[in-house]
Amino acid sequence: MKIITCYKLVPEEQDISIAANGSLDTNKASLKINPFDLCAVEAGVQLKSLLGDSNITAMSIGGKALENPKSRKDILSRGPDDLTVVVDEKFEHLLPHQTARVLMAAAQKSGFDLIICGDGSGDLYAQQVGLQLGELLGIANINAVSKIIAAEQDKITVERSLDDEVEVLEISLPAVISVSADINEPTIPSMKTILAAAKKPVTSLGATDLELTEFPALVELTSVIAPKQKARQNFIIDGDDEQQLTEFAEHLRKALN
Amino acid sequence: MSKLSNIWVFSDIASRLPEMIAAGAALGEKVSAFIIGTESEITAAYTLGATNVYYLGEKDSQKITEDYSHTIAQVIAANSENSLVLLAPTKRGKALASKLGVQLQAGVVNDVTEINVENGVHAKHMAYGGLAIAEEKINSQIAIMTLSSGLYEALPVDPSSTGEAVNVTFVEPTTSITCVERRAKQGESVDLGKAKRVIGVGSGIGSQENLQVANELAALMGAELGCSRPIAETEKWMERERYIGVSGVMLKPEVYLALGISGQIQHMVGALGSQTILAVNKDKNAPIFQYADYGIVGDINKVMPALISALKA
Repeated sequence: MKIITCYKLVPEEQDISIAANGSLDTNKASLKINPFDLCAVEAGVQLKSLLGDSNITAMSIGGKALENPKSRKDILSRGPDDLTVVVDEKFEHLLPHQTARVLMAAAQKSGFDLIICGDGSGDLYAQQVGLQLGELLGIANINAVSKIIAAEQDKITVERSLDDEVEVLEISLPAVISVSADINEPTIPSMKTILAAAKKPVTSLGATDLELTEFPALVELTSVIAPKQKARQNFIIDGDDEQQLTEFAEHLRKALN
Repeated sequence: MSKLSNIWVFSDIASRLPEMIAAGAALGEKVSAFIIGTESEITAAYTLGATNVYYLGEKDSQKITEDYSHTIAQVIAANSENSLVLLAPTKRGKALASKLGVQLQAGVVNDVTEINVENGVHAKHMAYGGLAIAEEKINSQIAIMTLSSGLYEALPVDPSSTGEAVNVTFVEPTTSITCVERRAKQGESVDLGKAKRVIGVGSGIGSQENLQVANELAALMGAELGCSRPIAETEKWMERERYIGVSGVMLKPEVYLALGISGQIQHMVGALGSQTILAVNKDKNAPIFQYADYGIVGDINKVMPALISALKA
């Protein structure tokens, strides 16, 4: 089976700080593979071990960051056989409906039976790319896949964990599935897989290598800003003698009433 | 306030429909609801304030909700005015949103927390795990959103409001996904996001024994116990479902009591929705105090027992 697993590089959210004007400062935040996408890659690796005779291509669309050898090694150390990146300055901050259109062109060029995406990404968390990609390709697509139960050449059987129930679905291939974060616990790369990653083939494409039509600007991002905070009392008791403890307990009691 | 001419609503979970119809009524001149289910659900949609009901037929265990995307898209496309499609913020709602987005060449925004229809259609939603709010402008003629719950209050039920539903013929999907089994979810896990009172435990708690003391305090307060990221991921003292903050739980309680939590923004974004925040920390300069309504600079080993005996009294 020919499997594509898609991933996005996102800033490490633990290292993002908020500037005085409410804007996000990502300067100290290094880029990492979106955690949902690590689950997608792991799902691909597990599927391959289930099926044997398969090839996994990791795929990403974005700006110059994708040219960084370290980030390429990082994704390849997770188990894919090869990597395809599509790099162009104008792909730096794509919105989901645009990403889906570029991925469509790239996936068509490389060929596939199954595309695996994460349910969302840690930055905008739009939760749309896999579904829109499948819909644009005119093939079966579904989100919230929490388990791959079985796979044959022309179909896969998956569990889908929903808010109120679990569905077991047979999906005919080709298809795109988006997996939830609880589908697996991604394997941490070993020294061996990290070394092996350096030898895996990488295909680097530009926008001109793909048959892209103009993007419709269906949606535009107008601002990203820290939420306004509620004014707080900021009544702080400095010390924990008996009287101060009683006073604090009284505030808790009042809040509970 | 300007309104859109029509708002389409669909919820795969019946309990979400009232607030979605209310949102439709606030934003549009007409509210058109899609219903899959029984006659009584059609009646209910009218009494809840729907102007029109489009009936997609009875529930069919062979079909998944997403199989109706082409059927829904066809109805919407046939009514070519500027409109907004509101869906429930569920996995099914999000799958439908993206499918409709492609089929109708429409912009999609998920988990919307605020909608503005003055000067175009704008939507806000959480980004960067809650660190930020992103605002998007939808340029397409049709806008599609999944709407976060709790934003609109259900309209009063009007039993005299009735109507004839439009029967819609099912349009077969072009691709095949077959539902071979459906089962109830096992063991309801804790949902801190709905708790009215929450205690958050951070590294300052010191030991697992102290976690027991925090548990006792939680029981007395009628509170659920949550934690900071290190407690769940480094110490592994609590389940991941209880971790508050970026890519964890977002709280909306009446009371949040933070025990030994330093108050990094990555944690705080999960707690800032609390009505009242109380904090205990031994470090006077801990950022948590900037976000607290009431705080005490003190030793957790003294404060917790004092709170327990005060609440027992």
